[in-house]
Amino acid sequence: MDSATGYLTTTVDAVVNWARSNSLMPMPMGLACCAIEMMAFGGPKYDVGRFGSEAMRFSPRQADLMIVAGWCSYKMAHAIRRVWDQMADPKWCIAMGACASSGGMHRCYGVVQGIDNFMPVDVYIPGCPPRPEAVIHALMDVQEKVRNEYSVAKDYASGPKKSAVESMNLGILTSDGRTTVGGV
Amino acid sequence: MPDSLNFHFTPVDKARPDEQNAHAKASTDVTDVIKAIQERFPEAVTEVVVYAGEHTVFIAGEVFLNVCTALKEELGFTYLVDLAGVDRFQEDAPRYEVYYCFVNLQAGKRLRIKVRVEEDDAVLPSITGLFKAADWNERECFDMLGIRFEGHPDLRRMFMPEDFTYHPQRKEFPLLGIPGSLPLPPRTPEGELTMDPFAAARSGSPAKSYQEPAENDEN
Repeated sequence: MDSATGYLTTTVDAVVNWARSNSLMPMPMGLACCAIEMMAFGGPKYDVGRFGSEAMRFSPRQADLMIVAGWCSYKMAHAIRRVWDQMADPKWCIAMGACASSGGMHRCYGVVQGIDNFMPVDVYIPGCPPRPEAVIHALMDVQEKVRNEYSVAKDYASGPKKSAVESMNLGILTSDGRTTVGGV
Repeated sequence: MPDSLNFHFTPVDKARPDEQNAHAKASTDVTDVIKAIQERFPEAVTEVVVYAGEHTVFIAGEVFLNVCTALKEELGFTYLVDLAGVDRFQEDAPRYEVYYCFVNLQAGKRLRIKVRVEEDDAVLPSITGLFKAADWNERECFDMLGIRFEGHPDLRRMFMPEDFTYHPQRKEFPLLGIPGSLPLPPRTPEGELTMDPFAAARSGSPAKSYQEPAENDEN
């Protein structure tokens, strides 16, 4: 073997989490003004393509991150829940803005006081509406959550949180048998 | 007021007679239209309120549809701008009123008409046959206040779910709603999904609390 080539050792979980976290495809559930900020989040200025999430999927079958942006009425809740159920596992959810998180200023009969009343939420973003940076930060929080998941080896005890590089669990086995751990 | 409480009030203009009101516009002065309505329908106009040079004409509910027909076909008010209901709970004797804003585009005149509606018999004739624009506004008014518009082709709720039983903009309706009146989806993944929002797409139909209009394929 040529001495310039080597092996890359890792775990299945690490590779799977690396792939998942860097290609989160958002399902833009834009309900109100937050959706405008979500467009900026996907647009060229804030460019969520840097995080691998530029491919907004309007079909729930192809998405794995639902961004509920805006206030959710009781009537809409059923539609959102159906779209959520159609998304394939594993899936994550961001409640974007005060209204999606808690009902916000819409403290009235027609608005659900927080979408966590009927569906699971991973990250809440405060703000009315939040700036695109806040949405990117929420996306990075979801990425961190994904990187710390164990999906293949089920008997893992979830340990302390690892950094992005540590969670990659990368080691390079060079041809002379030396292993370097913790980054390429 | 004690001197220690040193409030600063914004000075308020004294009420001026309507002729001197700087905001009065010629387009809202519809004296001749009111005269024309009174000649055509002597019982129709119950009250005329003038505020800031604007006429608000109260029309009796029985002749309202005829007045609207005359307004559109004879007096040139061909454009319905807005229509909505008002709940005057414990403020005024007939509890509800519905206002209509018409515009005569050729003459450049605006006309505001109000119709009082009794609480026990909250029914008005629909003007959707005359003005197509009234369609959704009447549905909204029905949804929010429960005023029924007789002769409306499709008087469904506009905003609330079709099986909702209350009218939320009535003053006695609590701001935070009535617990249990609006179902949420189940909290567990296994739970049965309630209220199908896409019932029509699955060739089903949600429960309806109103009479559907008869299908008419000829039109």
